[in-house]
Amino acid sequence: MTVETAREALAGRRVMVTGAAGFIGGRLVERLRLEIGAEVRVLVRGVASASRLARFPVDFVRGDVTDPAALAAAVRDCDVVFHCAYGTSGSQRHRAWVNREGTRRLLEAAARAKVGRVVHLSTLMVYGKTPDGDLTEEAPRRRFGNAYSDSKLEAEEIALACSRAGRVPVTVLQPTAVHGPWGGVWTETVLRSLRSGRAILIENGEGIANHIYVDDLVTAMLLAAVVEGAVGEAFLASAAEPVTWRQMYGRFERMLGPPARTVSLTEAEARAYWKECQARRPWLLGELASLVKKDRAVRDRLFETRELRALRELASGVLPEAWQQRIKSRLSSHEVPATSGEGELPVLPLPPSMINFFRARTRVRIDKARRVLGFEPAWDFERSMEITEQWARWAGFLS
Amino acid sequence: MDEKVRLAVVGCGAVAAGHYLPSIAASRLVEATLLVDRDEARARALATRYEVPATSGDASAVAAHAEAAVLALPNHLHAPVAIDLLRQGIHVLVEKPMAISTTECDAMIEAAEASGAVLALGLQFRSFDSTALVAGWLASGLLGPLRRFELRLGVISRWQFASDFVLHRETAGGGVLTDYGSHVLDLLLHWLGDWHELTYRDDACGGVESDCELELTMASGLGGFVEISRSRNLANTCLFEGETGTLEVGIWDPDPPLIVRIGGEQLRLDGRARRGKSPGLTFNGAFLRSIDDFARVIRQGGEPVVSGQEGRRGVALIEACYAARQALQLPWSIPQRAQREVGTS
Repeated sequence: MTVETAREALAGRRVMVTGAAGFIGGRLVERLRLEIGAEVRVLVRGVASASRLARFPVDFVRGDVTDPAALAAAVRDCDVVFHCAYGTSGSQRHRAWVNREGTRRLLEAAARAKVGRVVHLSTLMVYGKTPDGDLTEEAPRRRFGNAYSDSKLEAEEIALACSRAGRVPVTVLQPTAVHGPWGGVWTETVLRSLRSGRAILIENGEGIANHIYVDDLVTAMLLAAVVEGAVGEAFLASAAEPVTWRQMYGRFERMLGPPARTVSLTEAEARAYWKECQARRPWLLGELASLVKKDRAVRDRLFETRELRALRELASGVLPEAWQQRIKSRLSSHEVPATSGEGELPVLPLPPSMINFFRARTRVRIDKARRVLGFEPAWDFERSMEITEQWARWAGFLS
Repeated sequence: MDEKVRLAVVGCGAVAAGHYLPSIAASRLVEATLLVDRDEARARALATRYEVPATSGDASAVAAHAEAAVLALPNHLHAPVAIDLLRQGIHVLVEKPMAISTTECDAMIEAAEASGAVLALGLQFRSFDSTALVAGWLASGLLGPLRRFELRLGVISRWQFASDFVLHRETAGGGVLTDYGSHVLDLLLHWLGDWHELTYRDDACGGVESDCELELTMASGLGGFVEISRSRNLANTCLFEGETGTLEVGIWDPDPPLIVRIGGEQLRLDGRARRGKSPGLTFNGAFLRSIDDFARVIRQGGEPVVSGQEGRRGVALIEACYAARQALQLPWSIPQRAQREVGTS
């Protein structure tokens, strides 16, 4: 199967996308409309978040992935469903429930509507903390320890079990760090955090960043929607070659220009710095709380600063719930990261679990996607970052 | 003191619930006597909250309960409902945009003229203190002859729309140009007079645009650039460059920052545009001003802050933009094009 034949197979077909207002789902809708001419329906929770989708003549169904009535309306007469939605609001517990239960209910609706194929977007995180060396789909799935990853693992298990039971044909994709225009955690959040502080690179950033440009992931999704042999299977989706974290963060740093926005620390130094920041919090908390309690205007104003927004988003993307709650309460009291010398940006503390993540030298293999789906990444890292830089400039991240 | 104007609110969606009803409740010149919404349960819930005595699912009930109406409906309903009410002699304040075509605007103006009812526009940016201040400074010649203007407005909306009318051209009339553009183009026309030529680009691909750019030459010969977005947060300022100085004003904030630079940095004024020592204006404060202005015109005569003719002028400019539409070039949108362009850069 080639991308061209996948395009032909999807042309004129009715396709439903969950999570279409998000980064990957939004790009998928763009390509389904601009390149393929599919009849697209989207399930969206709110109107305001759908403004970029409204550029196209798509069919909107309002509701969320846990609402059976909205799901039934959304999947009616569809040939293919792409499930990109995941829990993005409420507590971590609620988000995890949305990941599990939303997937289950979507698949039930798709089975009843006799949908021809569901492409379930999973994540590399279903393999938990991965060992150094090559990683394939044969590796054991393991809990990572945070609500997002663990609930995505459960959702993937639900999806594959449903497919293997013959209820609805499902193909699972497990992308690595997805980046590109409108990208969330691995583009916008990185840019925002590097604007506000220096990111710690563990051991000079020599850990491996398994990444994929969003258009390559969307290509893999299109293939997953039509390749016969892909039913009931899961595929890792990543770039042809990984980069190091130094290369990835360094490229974002180059986009933003001086001053320095990364700092190399050893693992031990990063852990010590984290502890030091933790220890400093009570004092800052007291100082700031007294100021903030006096004046709501000050509180609101501080809470909406770019730096604190970036930290909040970063935290919600990667941290366990208990940490998020702690950080949230401190951000409410306006703690700021430690500052460094004059003219230098503050160093952003890195939680221990992320220290492990950035240190790892796991190398994701995509042989199965190549062999079964005919997937071949078209974007190398530098070209994908050039186009991302053009977008970031237009979107105001570099000004 | 004049008797309060008995007012119906037709359309109980987000703008009515969030802005019009709280502002009407705060006004000493009007009282809400009827709420109308297709979803009458929604109207009843708001009526209970704001102590409005009557509700209806149909605008035909207005004449029995009110002498004036605020229309906060999906855009495509502005003209038919306004014309029907104006013909009955009911005064109408229409939320922006006035209508989705100049033909509709003309029919609304004609209906108002025939019955003598007041037709006013809900373009609240006009009520900001900064709007009058900027108009005065531009007219004063403080900046010397103007050379150029640049206006950038981009806000990722969190608006809780009750319906999805804004997602469709048939019901919204357009995208961000019709939505945010109604405000800022009205400001430019108010400050700088009529326009002469334009070049317009947006990102719509069979639907309604999320981002647009406009190069605009005014009848005076002054040229400028306008960028409007609901997918990106932009600077939200309008910058005027004159021969002797510049003026930059915030344009989304009802209590906006203002920066004036004259003679390089010899004189720099950096502050907020306020009336005397008054506290900063809020959005609902701006709605209250436009409602009170509407009530004054009904009781005492005169022209509203934004008349039907002025509303039509903004719609005409938006209409001209869509007629001249070109595609906004976003290289990352089409993968093949993006690869080609990056590959040759």
